[in-house]
Amino acid sequence: MNVRSQGKAPEAPSSSLGASRGGESLTITSVDKTFGGKREVTALKEVSLAVAPGEFLSIIGPSGCGKSTLLQIVAGLMMPSHGKVFLGANDVTGESAHMVYLFQQYSKSLLPWMTVEENVMFAFNHRLHLRKKAARDRCSEYLEMVGLDDFGKYYPWQLSGGMQQRVAIARALSSEPKVLLMDEPFSSVDALTRMELHALVQELWERKRFTALLVTHDVDEAIFLADRVAVLTHRPATISEIVGVDLSRPRRPVEVHENPRFLEMRHHLLNHLLRKPEQSDEPPV
Amino acid sequence: MNRLYRKALLFLPGVAFIVAVFAAIQVAASNGAVNKVIVPPPTAVVGVFWHLIVSGAFIVPLFQTLVLLFVGYGVGCALGVLLGILMGSFRPVYLLFEPLTELLRPIPKPALLPALMLFLGLGPSMKITIIALSTFFPVLVNAIQGTRAVDPTMLAMARTFGYRPAAIIWKIVLPAAAPYYLAGMRISLGIALVVVIIAEMLAGKGGIGFALLNNQRDFLVQPTYAWVLVLALLGLSLNALFTWMERRATFWHAPSST
Repeated sequence: MNVRSQGKAPEAPSSSLGASRGGESLTITSVDKTFGGKREVTALKEVSLAVAPGEFLSIIGPSGCGKSTLLQIVAGLMMPSHGKVFLGANDVTGESAHMVYLFQQYSKSLLPWMTVEENVMFAFNHRLHLRKKAARDRCSEYLEMVGLDDFGKYYPWQLSGGMQQRVAIARALSSEPKVLLMDEPFSSVDALTRMELHALVQELWERKRFTALLVTHDVDEAIFLADRVAVLTHRPATISEIVGVDLSRPRRPVEVHENPRFLEMRHHLLNHLLRKPEQSDEPPV
Repeated sequence: MNRLYRKALLFLPGVAFIVAVFAAIQVAASNGAVNKVIVPPPTAVVGVFWHLIVSGAFIVPLFQTLVLLFVGYGVGCALGVLLGILMGSFRPVYLLFEPLTELLRPIPKPALLPALMLFLGLGPSMKITIIALSTFFPVLVNAIQGTRAVDPTMLAMARTFGYRPAAIIWKIVLPAAAPYYLAGMRISLGIALVVVIIAEMLAGKGGIGFALLNNQRDFLVQPTYAWVLVLALLGLSLNALFTWMERRATFWHAPSST
């Protein structure tokens, strides 16, 4: 596979800031996934990826190409047919307790019988066993980050979709993950809320510097948030290109979307994505 | 208060209908249209019922019946939910027990009474066993279904936060599937009440079932009806209590029926 940026990709941290306070490197080595059944389907083929500590990497691809499958394998929720997942130097293939996963369906990942506060505590208190006061404080710290510190006593279903996803973000971060995996987490909220959530995630990432892996089919979102954008091809999915995003941070939604460099990358990536499946085996431009 | 009043108004025709039926029986019994001995006037039955209550004579049989009911029902519910969770979560367990449960489930449980009497005699252990068996299967079926219906996203979420299978069952599966478990337990409550009375009638020295049959054998028709009235009120209160607990336990769950 002729990956354009392979020369610098695997180990080099892409962020010139070099800040990796909370992150851990994540390495995926030639992961294959084949689903059995009457007709075998190869979902992923030879997917290799190295994410530097504290880096924000987006993965885009056409829908149904296996993006979610890849993320579930990274999370340890699914075993790959071949290949391994490393967190730092540790082989964590098939182990689900190392990274935190932000789901697309916040309404199904938040527990409706728990208040917002209890939902957030669910992320950390089984490991930390904090006293009530300390657990509460930690909750409000993270709820405050997402602007919901007044809503701790509410139930998730009493909040709007955007607020529920913010609770899910607070819950994810309150466990202080080294790696945050995001599976199209902004696709089921309205466009304005989505932009707000983008800005929020960027801000929290700048603050905590966890390693972030975002799967999305939204090119704008992929570029806006990421240091690098990896493109997955049609099934069997493999990484066809990795594009570095050279936009300064912090990025503001309105400005970035008018930035010529942004538009150039957007143009390039959309062209790449919109090519017909049968052409996807051609070497990338 | 206003809402309660409007609800009461809504049921007015239904209540009026009950009153009308009993008034008709009263008239028929008083003027000799029906045999007064077999069909006593409702006022007379209410009189006996009232005596049963104020004299405290209802307490001991009611207590005996309730103890059997709660022990048997409790054991049946607990085992049903437990096996339901295991069968719903682990496919090998399901495949192991499913044929057996499909075979035992359709048996009308009172049919097992004669056999159980041989094994366990006529005492409380036999009655508790038959009540537990009758309770068990409806709970089990709902528990399997409910356990399977738990959203995979919730389970995956708990796994990524490092919860182990036992903790996931306790913290996610149990509450998430609680509406299903409770639906099964509600069906079983009615069945358990039927079975405890049958068991007491067949092999009793006490309890409401025994009191009913004993009065009928002594041709005390009015007390027989009075005990039926006790059972009606018991069933009504148990159901109301269950509904109240169910609402509280699954407050977050949209009610499926009004």
